[in-house]
Amino acid sequence: MNAAPLSSRRPLACWLAFAWLALLAGAGLLAPWLPLPYAAATPDLLHVAAPPSWAGTGHYLGTDPLGRDVLAGLLAGARRLLLLSLPATALATTVGALAGAAAGFWGNRHLRLPLAAVAAALAVAWWGLALPGPVVLYIILALAGLLSLLQWRGPRAAAPWLMITLPLDSLVLGLTTLLGSVPRLILLVAVLAGPPLTQPQLLGVFTVVAWPETARLVRAQMLRVRAQPFIEAARASGLPTGRIWWHHALPHACRPLLAYAPLSLAGLISLESALAFLGIGQGPDVVSWGGLLASVRQDPTVWWVAAGPGIALLVTLLALQKIANSARYSGSS
Amino acid sequence: MTGWLVARLGRALGAAWLIASLVFMVSRALPGGPEQQALPEAGDLSRPTASMVSAASQAASQQALRQRLGLNLPLFYVTRGPGPRGQWQWHGAANQYHAWVRSLLHGNWGYSYRNGQPVLALVRPALATTLPLASAAALLAAGLALLLALYLARTPGGWWQQLVWAGLSGLQVMPLFLLALGLLLLLANPDVLNLLPAAGQAPPDSTAGQLAGYWLARAALPLLSLVLAVLPELTLPLAAALRHETQAGYATTARAKGLTAAQVLRRHALPNALLPLLTTFTDLLPTLAAGVVVVEVLFALPGTGRLLAEAAAAHDYPLVVAGVLLTAGARLLALVLADVLYLLLDPRLRPTA
Repeated sequence: MNAAPLSSRRPLACWLAFAWLALLAGAGLLAPWLPLPYAAATPDLLHVAAPPSWAGTGHYLGTDPLGRDVLAGLLAGARRLLLLSLPATALATTVGALAGAAAGFWGNRHLRLPLAAVAAALAVAWWGLALPGPVVLYIILALAGLLSLLQWRGPRAAAPWLMITLPLDSLVLGLTTLLGSVPRLILLVAVLAGPPLTQPQLLGVFTVVAWPETARLVRAQMLRVRAQPFIEAARASGLPTGRIWWHHALPHACRPLLAYAPLSLAGLISLESALAFLGIGQGPDVVSWGGLLASVRQDPTVWWVAAGPGIALLVTLLALQKIANSARYSGSS
Repeated sequence: MTGWLVARLGRALGAAWLIASLVFMVSRALPGGPEQQALPEAGDLSRPTASMVSAASQAASQQALRQRLGLNLPLFYVTRGPGPRGQWQWHGAANQYHAWVRSLLHGNWGYSYRNGQPVLALVRPALATTLPLASAAALLAAGLALLLALYLARTPGGWWQQLVWAGLSGLQVMPLFLLALGLLLLLANPDVLNLLPAAGQAPPDSTAGQLAGYWLARAALPLLSLVLAVLPELTLPLAAALRHETQAGYATTARAKGLTAAQVLRRHALPNALLPLLTTFTDLLPTLAAGVVVVEVLFALPGTGRLLAEAAAAHDYPLVVAGVLLTAGARLLALVLADVLYLLLDPRLRPTA
């Protein structure tokens, strides 16, 4: 990307972006203890679609066509970002980074597991799923014991038939392709078509939808890092492979995430707001910025309902983009 | 090459099948099936007898409904009994998944839970709205992106160019629903500017010409939102690639031959910059498919996106599964098409066998 049109006044804009996000985080964290006259989800049926006023009703930013206070809704939406979008991005980034880095580092042919461990895992799975036929379970267990005995007795790094290669790269790439075959919004619409999910379930769904992008990015970076001389040096000095991966390769492969994680958060926030705007997968008592924006459609004259959440959402997304840009330039220079 | 193409298509079909099967399983395993729609709500005043129906007869009618829709069958070929140490059972062909696959292969996509109409009969007229809208948006956006990128790639950039660049990168992060809502509130609002119709019906006794004009005016705002939503992700990489190409040696040669900057950009840099962007062009489809959902709901257009959103809001799973299958199929076909186009346009990529 070309830096020239964006480089002017970068520090100030970046500080403003951080300040806005800090304000948002503070407001979201303190939302339950702030002295607001109205709760976010309870409608005030005496003042439906009331314009903003500083005197009298106490609806400082007005109410929406359902009678919900806009200021309280803004704070509740900020809290929702803090409790749902942020943890989901963190989880998805972690999962994606680990999966992508493993896939890029070991590829399809280099992760070799001892056959005994595979047999043991199979036995545990058999027992856990309560599959029929205890005889089969005993046979697998006996096989695992025999294999581990052979492995233990035999000389080190010998007997290639005792090892099995796991095609990690194909597995991760296949999963990302599968999840990428449907647009994220449509996949979420389909999954959330059921009854409203609880908070941990929502977190899981958002994580599943968001991790493939990160995994693809980290995998591509890891392919570059793997070929660097310092990895070769680490191998030559006899470090175990897992240690090389964790201590030497992973930190370098995760460098682009510094710039990508804010963008990923922005993507999840706009995805979640779009879902709330469509009214899918939300309990009736959940207030979010997207939900507030949706209530404008019932009455297009109430501009104050659209202005608050709309500006808050836009400024948040622009701030995240600003931070991602400055992280990218400071990372590349 | 034919074998490669067949393998590629097969893999794409398999992926589409797998994702649709997963959505089908999730949708059938979740509670909240059709019985909640067929039975009247507790406080439904239009049917005063509802509250007097005894619980037993309600349960019986629910059971009958589930039996009629085939929901009393087990979900899959093998299922596990309830409890932590339940036993596995083999059900043979008498299961919901088998029935779904068989009717799908016969061209029957199921029946809507809400009104009992066949899914295909609902989807087909909706496609007649969505396909023209989406393809017009894609064509317009591609053309505009070409022009804008050629403008942005000019080296002595002025003040306007910086403004366009900043505007595009701002648009990139703006969610489509916010953009469309802003346009709706600004341009189709009786309080601000009432330029274009955004909802309602065509005037009843209008000629064909008037009708076409009405629908063009109706489609203007959705089209504008869709184009603006996909424009940045097409333009910005293309402009960056063009700037990169103008620094290559062959561009210097072309300039040394005496071509103008515009000629160098159009004839020499553009073909090379365009090739890596085929993937971006095929990535248009998911953005458009997701955008169509938002835009059609917001502007009340009777298309597939609105159908899908309403079905999801009403737990109408057969329609939702059909929507997912359709989108996944279109997306995977687009990916295969992009691969074929790469091979046709760039001989270096062709398999040598």
